[in-house]
Amino acid sequence: MTNIIGLINYGIAGNIHSIKKAIEKAGGNVLIIEKPEDFNQVDKIVIPGVGSFKDAMFELEKNDLLESLKRCVLTKPTLGICLGMQILSTLGYEYGKTKGLDVINAEVKEIVVDAKVPHVGFNKIEVIKSNKLLEGVENKEFYFMHSYEVVNYTNISSLTEYCGHTFVSSIQKNNIYGVQFHPEKSREPGVRVFKNFIEI
Amino acid sequence: MTTRIIVKLDVKPPYVVKPVHFEGLRKIGTLCDLVKKYYEQGADELIYIDIVASLYQRDILFDQVEAAANEMFIPFAVGGGVKTINDFSKLFHAGADKVVINTFAVQEDPSIINQAAEIFGKQAVVVNIEAKKWDNYWECYSDCGRIRSGKRVLDWVTEVEQRGAGEIVLQSVDTDGRQRGFDIDLAKQVVEAVNIPVVIASGAGSLDDIKNLILQANPSGVAISSLLHYDKTTILEIKEYLLDNGIEVSL
Repeated sequence: MTNIIGLINYGIAGNIHSIKKAIEKAGGNVLIIEKPEDFNQVDKIVIPGVGSFKDAMFELEKNDLLESLKRCVLTKPTLGICLGMQILSTLGYEYGKTKGLDVINAEVKEIVVDAKVPHVGFNKIEVIKSNKLLEGVENKEFYFMHSYEVVNYTNISSLTEYCGHTFVSSIQKNNIYGVQFHPEKSREPGVRVFKNFIEI
Repeated sequence: MTTRIIVKLDVKPPYVVKPVHFEGLRKIGTLCDLVKKYYEQGADELIYIDIVASLYQRDILFDQVEAAANEMFIPFAVGGGVKTINDFSKLFHAGADKVVINTFAVQEDPSIINQAAEIFGKQAVVVNIEAKKWDNYWECYSDCGRIRSGKRVLDWVTEVEQRGAGEIVLQSVDTDGRQRGFDIDLAKQVVEAVNIPVVIASGAGSLDDIKNLILQANPSGVAISSLLHYDKTTILEIKEYLLDNGIEVSL
């Protein structure tokens, strides 16, 4: 069987259950990645996103997944979700300064806005550079739940406005995709995003 | 920004129940049926509270949480009897996106909020508050409005924000289950006291009650139970009514 999507399980954090379910709903096959060898069996990678930047990097390292992930991300289609997108960046500032996977030239900083933070709820995305992942969901509403944002200027595929503050809601660089929102929690448009990822 | 229309499920496994004044439980239906119903109606989020876990001092039932999570693709906040970091972890793995904590934090050890926020990210840590009004202040209660904490609500909300909570769900012991309107004064004061999202529960009895709450207190979300449980309205009807009144919601 081909087109197996590897979903990284990094220990204590991560909402892998919801993501697995949504990928399967979209017609995909999921293999949970828990050790370095698992990367060899998958065609694509999904990095999930509940937790803090610092803790996520710590858990990846502790579970001996960090080096394999760094290698794999360069060749296999990869989708980072929320924190999973954030850790693709060079640096994160959640609970101190932490080095990320450094495949996207970006920093992850706390949202500064004159409104409630975390930004929680359904909000529209505005696609500024279309790609396969966002096909058919341009201008749809997705569920966001985050206190930090990716600050990047070169790989932006969509933006979202929250109470007058515009932030990066998705990125793409070659085979690497990241979404700040939670497609697994965004009804049908979210399932469509996974379907698009499966077809990449 | 859209105001979230949330359904709060008070669960006494395997049933969803509705307490009146936090007591006198009425059985509404089975968990999975109701989760499916509200997902299909267009709920923006579900809050699941195991209302007896803390009281019976047992763990929340993870298989119930998992079964409910399987029915939907919207955010799912789960609580009831949460005491340890391991409880948080197990709930996330069962399909929760956020974990709701009340009793242990307010009665025993509030530092669990700091620990959980550092490990899971603050957006995943929700503090539930059961407020009861006294002459000129509100006090935090726990265990379905049975046990006093001695903590004042307006002090406690600031404290939990500082400790790293990402969201507050505010219930009122006085108005819960009565369907006679929200405690708008309480809602307003809490929303203004903190910089994190506040979801207001307890009191929706009509579409007007919901509209008035949003216009006057501007919460991030409204949690509704009885109105929907007794089929007095639907989520779509609520959202259309709010849109007609100039309030942004997600359709």
